[in-house]
Amino acid sequence: MLLSLRGIDKHFFGVHALRGVDFDVREGEVHALVGENGAGKSTLIKFVAGAEQPDVGEITVGGEPVTIHTTQDAFRLGIATVYQEPQIFPDLSVVENVFLGRELRDRFGNVERGEQRRRVRELLASLHLDPRLADRRMGALSLAEQQLVLICKALAQEARLIIYDEPSAILTQRETDTLFGVIRRLQERGVATIYISHRLDEIFEIADRVTIMKDGQVVATKPRSELTVAQVVELMAGRKLHTGIEREAHEDEEVVLSVGGLSRQGDFDDVSFDVHRGEIVGFFGLIGSGATDIALALFGIEPADAGTIELDGRRVSIGKPGDAVEHGLALLPKDRKTQGLFLPLSIADNVAAGNYPLLSRLRTFILRTQERSVARRLMQSLAVKAPSATTKVGNLSGGNQQKVLLARQLVGRPKVVILDEPTRGVDVQAKEEIHRLIFELADGGAAVVVISSELPEAMRLADRLIVVRSGRIHSEYRRGEAESAAVLAAAIGGDGAASGVGGDGDA
Amino acid sequence: MATPNRTHALPATVGDLLRLRTIGWREALEAREASILAVLVVMGIALGIAYPQFGTLDNVDNILLAVAQVAIVGVGMTMVIITGGIDVSVGSALSVCAVVVAMRIQDGAGIPEALVVGIAVGAGIGLVNGLLIGLGRVHSIIITFGMLNLLRVVSFKLTGGKWLTGLPDTLNYFGSGTLLKLPFAWWIAMAMAAVATYYLRRRPTGRHLYALGGNAETARLAGVAVLKRTIFVYTITGALVGVASLVFVGQAGQVVQTNVGYGFELDVIAAVVIGGTSILGGKGTVIGTLLGALLVGTIRNAFVIVDINPLWADFILGALILLTTALDLLRRRGRET
Repeated sequence: MLLSLRGIDKHFFGVHALRGVDFDVREGEVHALVGENGAGKSTLIKFVAGAEQPDVGEITVGGEPVTIHTTQDAFRLGIATVYQEPQIFPDLSVVENVFLGRELRDRFGNVERGEQRRRVRELLASLHLDPRLADRRMGALSLAEQQLVLICKALAQEARLIIYDEPSAILTQRETDTLFGVIRRLQERGVATIYISHRLDEIFEIADRVTIMKDGQVVATKPRSELTVAQVVELMAGRKLHTGIEREAHEDEEVVLSVGGLSRQGDFDDVSFDVHRGEIVGFFGLIGSGATDIALALFGIEPADAGTIELDGRRVSIGKPGDAVEHGLALLPKDRKTQGLFLPLSIADNVAAGNYPLLSRLRTFILRTQERSVARRLMQSLAVKAPSATTKVGNLSGGNQQKVLLARQLVGRPKVVILDEPTRGVDVQAKEEIHRLIFELADGGAAVVVISSELPEAMRLADRLIVVRSGRIHSEYRRGEAESAAVLAAAIGGDGAASGVGGDGDA
Repeated sequence: MATPNRTHALPATVGDLLRLRTIGWREALEAREASILAVLVVMGIALGIAYPQFGTLDNVDNILLAVAQVAIVGVGMTMVIITGGIDVSVGSALSVCAVVVAMRIQDGAGIPEALVVGIAVGAGIGLVNGLLIGLGRVHSIIITFGMLNLLRVVSFKLTGGKWLTGLPDTLNYFGSGTLLKLPFAWWIAMAMAAVATYYLRRRPTGRHLYALGGNAETARLAGVAVLKRTIFVYTITGALVGVASLVFVGQAGQVVQTNVGYGFELDVIAAVVIGGTSILGGKGTVIGTLLGALLVGTIRNAFVIVDINPLWADFILGALILLTTALDLLRRRGRET
């Protein structure tokens, strides 16, 4: 056994992220790791790559117990990770990127450029890649080529195990094929692979064994030959829904937001849907499905090329975020730290940001007292846990940060609220509270659009659930009609998935 | 699922590579050394025909002498900018070094002592810069901008605001001596550039400077000693300011004023950036900087010969910095999309 993890446990901010996980990799095997978002795949891999340490559990490499504190430690053990976005030096050559930090030196300590180049060309050739890549500037290569160079780098350092974290999400079909060719050749040399992906068709093409994770636990590890796509989907999805408050399906005639034929080249195509007053419409899709792109287009961040948006029956044009705000839309962005919050500023400042016209006299003089009182009122109704409105947002937990961000969107009493991954990176309890707030928001009359790549969340929140696949609306379910395996199969695609679970995903 | 033919997947990739190769004009603009050389030749011939006194050996010597200090300090500045930093304190640092060196030779010090003192003071200043930037993790422009102002006062206080006069001719050879018909100061610049080129191209730690400027976090993860390299480049730049101060005092002759080196940083940074070093870090050569220094000198000289207010030379140099930076940014943004 090359790599073995036993009884791994990990808590993050009170969330039990992984429980009692056992996982192992044999020499020269391709081991696929699958599971929904939040199932714990990435967390598990971080322990092996040296990015995090488990609370409890043992890791052995080649039978020896090890501790992996840094990427360098992992390298020394022969473990390399290829991330989706390659970590590169764009202005240096391919050869230098491969050897940087571990240069070959002659007896005077000079870099042996000739030898380095020869080795890289050899490595490229051995993977059936063009040796001329060696002399190119790294930044001039495509992302796919950069990934391949990083695989060479791993090999130059004599890696025995290479981990790929969703590598194909950014690759074209042809590039994925090239990558698989490389993985197979490495396998012949005895290099093992851990391959994380959502795409089950790929996994069934490349993997020897498949491990399925769910809710921080390993559900099954089986040889590929003993599994069908349908079984994998069922193992991934079959989980009980949230307990706690639930919601009745909502019926209201009044259409607030109506979208027709919305398209943007390469991202999504012919998207049409209505959102009624007090209704929650959920969009579910895998990463890269285009669900988030639709949200960005609605809010004018990356406007659509074609299609219409109507609010209360009147056609509006939204070319920039300012237009969206003016028409009464609000967006809770996906990444609160980079797109939403000002971490060094206070809660009151964060809530007020963008809402100054409402919090000022004659739209000109900002009223600090009003700013604070509005912030305090919202803190109370959203149950933000913080000592006061002047507390720095950077000092709050993820869940409370998310509530502050939500509070900002509510100051202007928007007609339509778009929430992009509203509970990303928050703990279970905060998630529960945010879900409750979203229900309250809808009950208060807002039209709500929720984008989530977490199936249980999407199913719980949505009065109507729209599945997006490859930039198109694939199917639609009313509350109570959706069955998680069918929805997941619809989102993942692949003939096996749709027919295997016996559901007619297309509504 | 159909299994695609692996061996056919490859030529497609090669085709993609060939397609990328056709973006010719940008690559050509990036070969900055060649374009500067071309500009120098064109300017030289045009000015030489229109103004015969421009082409005289004396005038060429004038240009070389005038920019020798820029070239020497430019060698260190190139390394700083490659790491993604900048040092705007070199003008004031030159002033402090020059004043200290002048005071020493006034007291009868010889060349060896002047050299040691100049380099020690310069390297000391650079070390402080490097430590503050590296340990404090503050952007270099803040630290060196502070030093720029602070050192100006130091140099003023050292002399009590008076000019240093009646200096002996100890350092004349540094200022105006020639060796094989080239100013001695240029031999120093070329020797420094040769060592730096070797270091930047062949030594592992030299290559690490490029990595640092390209992607600091990835460099750290790859095992680059970020703090050491940062301290190193600022210290070397300081030391080279010390060397340049000897050339300065040698050229100044008998009198050193307290306004030494005002605007010196503009010429040095212009030489480096015009010479093709990316202001964003990660890319650049010392040879380019030497050529850039020559271009800076030729432009300044041309304004004197053509008899235009030399103020306009600053305008042109400023514009050239903006233009080359714009080209650099266009190149990067083109790559990101």
